[in-house]
Amino acid sequence: MRKVAVALAALALLAGCSAPQQWGAPPDSKPVQPRPAGVQDPAVLPSSSAAPANCDPLASLRPGALPPPGQPPAGSSMAKIVQRGRLIVGVSQNTYLFGHRDSRTGELVGFEIDLAREVARALFGDPTKIQFRAMSAAERIPALKNGEVDLVVRAMTMTCDRWQEISFSTEYFTGGQRLLVPVDSPVKSIDDLGGKKVCAAAGSTNITAIAAAKSKPIPVAATDALDCMVLLQQGQIDAVSTDDAILAGFAAQDPATHVVGPAFAAAPYGIGIGKANADLVRFVNGVLEKVRADGTWTAIYQRWLSSLGPAPAPPVARYQA
Amino acid sequence: MATVHTPLHAAPGPAAPQQRAANRSDPAAAVAPRSPAVPLDRRAPSRLPDRPLGARVGLRRRALAWLRRTPGILALMTAVLVGLGVAAGTAGIGAVRERAALVSGVAAANGPLVLAAQDLYRALSDADATVASAFLLGGAEPAALRTRYREDLAAASDALVRLAGGATAEAAAAPTRRIAANLPVYTGLVETARTLNRQDLPLGAAYLREASALMRDALLPAAQDLYLAVSAQLATARDDASAVPWLALPLALLSLIGLVAAQVFLARRTNRVFNVGLVAATAAALVAVLWLGVAWFGAAGHLSASRRDGSAQVELFAQARIAALQARGDESLTLVARGAGAAFEKRFTETMKRLAGDDGTGGLLGQARARATDGASRAAVDQAIADVKQWRDLHKRIRELDDSGRYPEAVTLAVGADEASAGGVFNRLDEDLARGLTDGGDRFAREVRAAGTALRGVAGGLGVLMTLVLVGVLVGLGQRVLEYR
Repeated sequence: MRKVAVALAALALLAGCSAPQQWGAPPDSKPVQPRPAGVQDPAVLPSSSAAPANCDPLASLRPGALPPPGQPPAGSSMAKIVQRGRLIVGVSQNTYLFGHRDSRTGELVGFEIDLAREVARALFGDPTKIQFRAMSAAERIPALKNGEVDLVVRAMTMTCDRWQEISFSTEYFTGGQRLLVPVDSPVKSIDDLGGKKVCAAAGSTNITAIAAAKSKPIPVAATDALDCMVLLQQGQIDAVSTDDAILAGFAAQDPATHVVGPAFAAAPYGIGIGKANADLVRFVNGVLEKVRADGTWTAIYQRWLSSLGPAPAPPVARYQA
Repeated sequence: MATVHTPLHAAPGPAAPQQRAANRSDPAAAVAPRSPAVPLDRRAPSRLPDRPLGARVGLRRRALAWLRRTPGILALMTAVLVGLGVAAGTAGIGAVRERAALVSGVAAANGPLVLAAQDLYRALSDADATVASAFLLGGAEPAALRTRYREDLAAASDALVRLAGGATAEAAAAPTRRIAANLPVYTGLVETARTLNRQDLPLGAAYLREASALMRDALLPAAQDLYLAVSAQLATARDDASAVPWLALPLALLSLIGLVAAQVFLARRTNRVFNVGLVAATAAALVAVLWLGVAWFGAAGHLSASRRDGSAQVELFAQARIAALQARGDESLTLVARGAGAAFEKRFTETMKRLAGDDGTGGLLGQARARATDGASRAAVDQAIADVKQWRDLHKRIRELDDSGRYPEAVTLAVGADEASAGGVFNRLDEDLARGLTDGGDRFAREVRAAGTALRGVAGGLGVLMTLVLVGVLVGLGQRVLEYR
């Protein structure tokens, strides 16, 4: 009984199969397109709070005299850090030359890492009393607001919007947002990218700038700007757009790409600090004054960023009135 | 031919049986006046003048009259008993052969396919975890990890080929195709990441993240679907193989009842209680029914044990092994993410809870412990539980080190292969679980083999017994029919 049923079912199956499986029919397959986790295409734009009209995003708090290492004023934010025994700093581990992982030693290295170590040196007299916490662009402000980290030194553009939520040190690097495209691409500037996909890190000012461009490119957001580079190499996007120094780091990793076009958005980098820790802002600004003056800034620049050209003069500090 | 006469049996005396036999025919005699034979005969000329119909009526009348007489009844009985015997025999043989085929299918195809699906999932997860920890070690990756990754790929490809060849379930086709399409893309991304890492370029880590996303979003879910499909295929085959033979068993019982009824009838109609032919046929039918029942019951019992002690255990161990692997991968990724790994750490905690419960004795390992039926598998589970406990302690220490800024020490404690590091403990745990899995697989194979043995020879035996039934019926009743000539 069952056998008959099975035989009938098999016959029915054979009859059913004979139609679609003809000779020369196209195979039932399509190519796999992998993607880094967390890509948004098109990007969800970061919300912007209303900034006061008379805001200067570059103006920070004026520093006082630096206390000697290991002897911060009692009750200050610095005293808490010294008592803890280490400075906790949010950084990138994917931004070549600014903050990246040395694959031989596993240690984080780069321009921003060395700068953060200078703050630790001023606090403890020891640049190794520091704990790095790698984070994505979108994680920076939440980490500062809930006190997970003392500082964020991670290519953070100083904006009036962000001043609403956190504080910044004075400017420590001047970047400008540009484009990275394959060397054989006809694209010369953001104006050539209308309707094309342009990628930047989620939660960065770069995404906002791409969306605001007159040519109306399609913004694509990735967890990390480096994920954009993967997308570009795989032909899934037309250009990466972030700050020139970071793009130079990307181009250094792939000779088949180059940085093009004028900077279409300013990107002054400041060290992010929690809104409540005004004393720490003043202390960090004091450290920055010192490294600008004694040549440390230039030495660090030359160590990491010489591929961008000779070291310029350090950015001039601006203070709130 | 020894026929036993009634005096040996009937208490009321020699005359009684004849009297009873006569009485027994009374109902038939009482029916006779009402039976159509007489009235039809009387009315036939007036109502039905045409001859063909009249002839047919006559034939029917003669047949009915003949059937009313003992030889007719005996002939009818013979036909019914022979028919029942043939039907029951054919159904029984068919049922046994079908179940035997299903059992050998379970042993040779369905069981191994489930194992292949588990191998596939494990090999893929292991490849992902291995690549993550190789990255953590940085620079020139250790030869042992590189070898392990290559072995994982070989195991995954092998399992995939076995599955593609053997899985007939409709639901297996799409995931098999998905894995075949994605696996080379995955390995391509890993090799790209590897090349970039060796050049000290951070882009390598980005490719690794993309590879890992492909593994977790496409490959592992497809491997899971494939596993579910072949598991369902195994469950169906096992259910069919242990199904009650609903056609054969009632037919065989009916044939047995028919034989007994025939003997009761004969004993009442004639003065002989036993008819050797029918007694032999009854005995053969009884043996056939019992054998069929016992064989079915035995096979079903072994098949159920093959699930309970075999494949269910294997599944628990396989799930535990995969959970351990995922936890291991998350432990590495938490360190790779370097502070941005809260999501991995959360998943580590959840996976460990699924593996061993809150206190280390629950979860999958707790279930496996409760189900372990022999000393060896109990020992394997106990060792695994102890390893998980040690691992959790080490993990706590790793997190403390990382959270207090001692990252290099945390990495050393996590990736070391010695007994005192998380890597070493994980390897030992993996071996314990693999041992438990192999034990379960052996028990599965043993029980399925036993189910096959329970069904072996039954079809041939049923054939012989049913032939005996037929011979007994023909000889026994044939003798009686001949006596009326």
